[in-house]
Amino acid sequence: MKQGIPGFIKAIINTYSVLFFSQSRALGIILLLVTFFNIQVGLCGLACVVFSLGMVHAMGYQRENIQLGIYSFNALLLGIALGTFYHVNTLFFLWLAVACLIVVVATIILAERFNKSGLPVLSLPFIITFWVVLLAANSIFKTGLQQKSSYLLEELYNGPGTLAGFQGYLAIEFPFYLNLFFRSLSAVLFQNNMLIGMLMSVGLLIHSRITFSLLVIGFVASCALNAVTHTYADGISYYHLGANFMMTTAAVGGFFIIPSWRSYLAAVLAIPVIVILVNAFTGILGVYYLPVLSLPFCLVNITLLYVLKLRKNPRKLNLITIQHYSPERNLYQFLNHAERLNDFKYFPLHLPFMGSWTVSQGYDGAITHKNDWGQALDFVIEDEDKNTYKLPGTLPEHFYCFNKPVLACGDGVVENVVDYIDDNAIGQTNEKENWGNTVVIKHTNELYSKVSHLKKNSIKVNPGDIVKQDHLLGLCGNSGRSPEPHLHFQAQATPYIGSKTLAYPFAYYTTNDRQSDPFHCFTIPQEGVVLSSPEINTSIKKAFDFQPGYMAKISTASRSEMIEVYTDELNQSYIYSKETEATAYFINNGTLFYFTSFYGNKQSLLYYFYLTAFKVIFSSNESIIAHDVYPVQQTTNKAKLWLQDLIAPFYQFIKLEYQSSYQPQKNGVAIQSKQTDNTIPVMEATLNIANNSLQGFNIRYNGTTIEAQWTTENM
Amino acid sequence: MQKLKYERPYIKKLNAGIMNKFGTRTDAQAFTHIDGVAVKSVIAQYGSPVFVLSEKQIRRNYRSAYRAFSTRYPKVQFAWSYKTNYLNAVCNIFHQEGSWAEVVSGFEYRKAIGNGVPGNKIIFNGPNKPKEDLLLAIENDSLIHIDHFEELNLLISLSENLVMKPRVAIRVNMDTGVYPLWDRFGFNYENGEAWTALTKIVNSGKLQLVGLHCHIGTYMLSTNAYGIATTKMCDLAMRCKNQLKQTIEYLDLGGGFPSTNTLKGAYLPGTDTVPSADDFAEVITTTLLNFGFTNDDLPLLILESGRMLIDDAGYLLGSVVANKRLGDGKRAMVVDFGVNLLFTSFWYEHQISPAQDFTPHVENMTVYGPLCMNIDVIRESVNLPLINPGEHVVVHKVGAYNMTQWMQFITERPAVVLIDEQQQSHIIRTSETLNYIEEPESTPPHLK
Repeated sequence: MKQGIPGFIKAIINTYSVLFFSQSRALGIILLLVTFFNIQVGLCGLACVVFSLGMVHAMGYQRENIQLGIYSFNALLLGIALGTFYHVNTLFFLWLAVACLIVVVATIILAERFNKSGLPVLSLPFIITFWVVLLAANSIFKTGLQQKSSYLLEELYNGPGTLAGFQGYLAIEFPFYLNLFFRSLSAVLFQNNMLIGMLMSVGLLIHSRITFSLLVIGFVASCALNAVTHTYADGISYYHLGANFMMTTAAVGGFFIIPSWRSYLAAVLAIPVIVILVNAFTGILGVYYLPVLSLPFCLVNITLLYVLKLRKNPRKLNLITIQHYSPERNLYQFLNHAERLNDFKYFPLHLPFMGSWTVSQGYDGAITHKNDWGQALDFVIEDEDKNTYKLPGTLPEHFYCFNKPVLACGDGVVENVVDYIDDNAIGQTNEKENWGNTVVIKHTNELYSKVSHLKKNSIKVNPGDIVKQDHLLGLCGNSGRSPEPHLHFQAQATPYIGSKTLAYPFAYYTTNDRQSDPFHCFTIPQEGVVLSSPEINTSIKKAFDFQPGYMAKISTASRSEMIEVYTDELNQSYIYSKETEATAYFINNGTLFYFTSFYGNKQSLLYYFYLTAFKVIFSSNESIIAHDVYPVQQTTNKAKLWLQDLIAPFYQFIKLEYQSSYQPQKNGVAIQSKQTDNTIPVMEATLNIANNSLQGFNIRYNGTTIEAQWTTENM
Repeated sequence: MQKLKYERPYIKKLNAGIMNKFGTRTDAQAFTHIDGVAVKSVIAQYGSPVFVLSEKQIRRNYRSAYRAFSTRYPKVQFAWSYKTNYLNAVCNIFHQEGSWAEVVSGFEYRKAIGNGVPGNKIIFNGPNKPKEDLLLAIENDSLIHIDHFEELNLLISLSENLVMKPRVAIRVNMDTGVYPLWDRFGFNYENGEAWTALTKIVNSGKLQLVGLHCHIGTYMLSTNAYGIATTKMCDLAMRCKNQLKQTIEYLDLGGGFPSTNTLKGAYLPGTDTVPSADDFAEVITTTLLNFGFTNDDLPLLILESGRMLIDDAGYLLGSVVANKRLGDGKRAMVVDFGVNLLFTSFWYEHQISPAQDFTPHVENMTVYGPLCMNIDVIRESVNLPLINPGEHVVVHKVGAYNMTQWMQFITERPAVVLIDEQQQSHIIRTSETLNYIEEPESTPPHLK
């Protein structure tokens, strides 16, 4: 129970904030408070929330959704609506409870069905339930419900006297459209109160600058459209303006789609569609005396999402995959991940040899890499004079690459092997058995790799063998269409020896280039480049070997945190700090370690570790520098961040760059890292490693200096 | 018409030997430039004799050897054998190329530290490591290769009160089928001493066993011996993992690879008979890869090759002092460098080239050094053209050991010059002066 009560209260607050697609506690509390401007409304809303939360909790539905308020916000809307439109009497409470039950059941069923297609349920359960209640109340049978006014949306809310006076004062003092904006916003909660709208604006601004700016854009665009078309002679009603027009722009522009100028455009284009829908449904539903409510909003969003989801190769207007309930965070994480997470995009292919080799023919090379077979690489070994052989160079044995081990470039299953073709004399080619001795490995259903021109009878694997990365396949030779020994490598989508090629990058390799960065991630090497696999420092690699169950204590002079490594249901690993509940997701792919995202307390020691070890390459080559970029929201300059948030979909001026590199130490190893905000240093940190494990880190960040010890608990 | 070069008249004994289709021509060719720098100008600038080292050749040798191993095995590390040539400039070329340091005394150890080598990249070998040197190595987290039980016991007692466990390996000696058997260094494999030492290290709990080291000989002409040595080392490593639960991180196969110098008494020239780095690499890496280690457990392969990497990058330039006819009628040539500078002339038949154009007639002769000692013979018998006094000669492949084993004897030791990759010469050790040699001396007052 100790954890139950704050959890339950959080769920209540989330139910309020999720109305505006948020998890902001400030917004939730503000929304909760404004409903209590009318005690009846506030109590009805809260009662429905508590009732529905208690019900779904007792019945054991998905915990995360309960926490997020997904099952309860429709009940909240219902409670507020009923509280606003009906007089309180004994029967009211009965029907409120019944309606609440209906709405919860409807929510659960609809949410489950929609979820299968990846669509949100929005306020559909509320709309349906409210219609049912209205139809029942207006039927010829007596329900005992007394409507406050016959015309639902013209119902004007009259608050307590003092407020009314203040309201009147505000209405006079404020320009018409400002007044209209705030009242429209309050209409989302079935209110028509400028003060409520103002308070909600403050909450929304705290929650998200993007959402707030989209609400304003929606308001301006709708009013402008109406000014041109004169569809609504008296202006758009408060309710439709708020709950349909403005909410749609906010949802389309920033919540379901990664915010961008395209999503903003889509949001504005949705406005005339809403006009059509509002008018159409008003006509149909008017027959049954039913209000349209937010049905147009729901239909536009769900349809648009469904259409976007059906795309095969979405390039623009990307949908949100991991919902952070903040348009800013969604955008920054998306941009950051697009730049960083190559591990999810590609199967990691490694160089199929040891040591330094030269690309003698690159993609679309001049000799044989043509057309459909153009995306292949030829490798040889060269000496300082760029010769591939030692004198006299008349036999294959004189060539440096001849007889050298050829390795599996990644884990897979051997698909095809040819091992009987004679090696050519130097200068001769065998165009009949073009590819010579060859091994094809299947890595995934759509990715195969092939090495060719191997030495006769040197191949050590058979079709069907399971090979791991760096497994010895055979020896480099001179068979097939090969006038001098070389290694042909290509990726392909089909398993055949003659398959056409597929452009595919190597995961990691280093070049001996002294001018530029020698470390290359997920790139296709160019012709003439001398490249080798990165040398892995086993000490650093072992220090970052965070298997699930790894536990350590991070401690400073004044505090300490226990951390433990877990793996979630999507097989993503994360570090969890028990004291602060902070969570940091990471990837360790054997060549480097990097964090993908951080959630929770930014005062935690885990956060400082996240900043320090944002990306670490397991290399003891001092010239290799790991470059990376933090998500923008990690900046410490809040004022600048708010400004950035407003224009983030169009332009990012904050760039938080990260660098780390190996530093030799007298004892053990150190990784030095720093963060720069547009080249201004923000953070400097050092990570110490000895005896194959982390020893601690020092960090200077945002005016604080932390010296932390790292003690492994169970290793 | 150009004036013909004056040719001294000479009388030559008629040798009625077997007819030779090559006639009496010598292989010697005028060797006028080293990496584009004229021999004459070097001598003019730095005096005669003078040692010259080619940075370009050193780097080529290193890269070629590294290529031979690294294209066959994933984890290769070279450690520069300081005793082969510990001039700081030379060491730093190797360190720039990525070599660690392999030292065998406190003196060499401090030299390596002075060259900026991180402590954990220094391998401390040798049969005599005094207590203070060991303490220094422990403090710097260097790799200590234990040679005998006395040292092992000393290390255990030294690490009694330390938080850090010193990182150690043992030197192992073994029968690899070659003569002589180097069983004076380290612990013997066959009689079980090596295993006893390993057990003792692990059981002590005070030392961190990280590697195994062997060095089976010098100027090894058989690659097969390295195959045997590698197998025995792998066997020990595997037993350590399986029985002592101690993963061996590296195998140090030492050095012993030959340069292309011709050994005394060899029938054919070294260039034709000596196995290349590739031949050694093939045997060693194939053995390692096929031994049965998993990919992640493959030990780091450390090589301490010295001679192979530097011998042919060194030249000794000198001048002819005199020519004379010996009692038996054989010709002799006296040059201005002796065995005190060219220690390796006791082992090798060094190739000597004239540094300027010469007449085509050659004569068998003995080359003597300038020392007033009978043993000062550079070559006992070599076919060379007649070189006039004051003209220059070049001795090839002298880069290994000469600049560390040379003796200050009778004269000062000469300068050492490095020619860099841009064909610029740099003096890396000046010739000694009387003051330098007398500086440590002191004369008691009554003798002044």
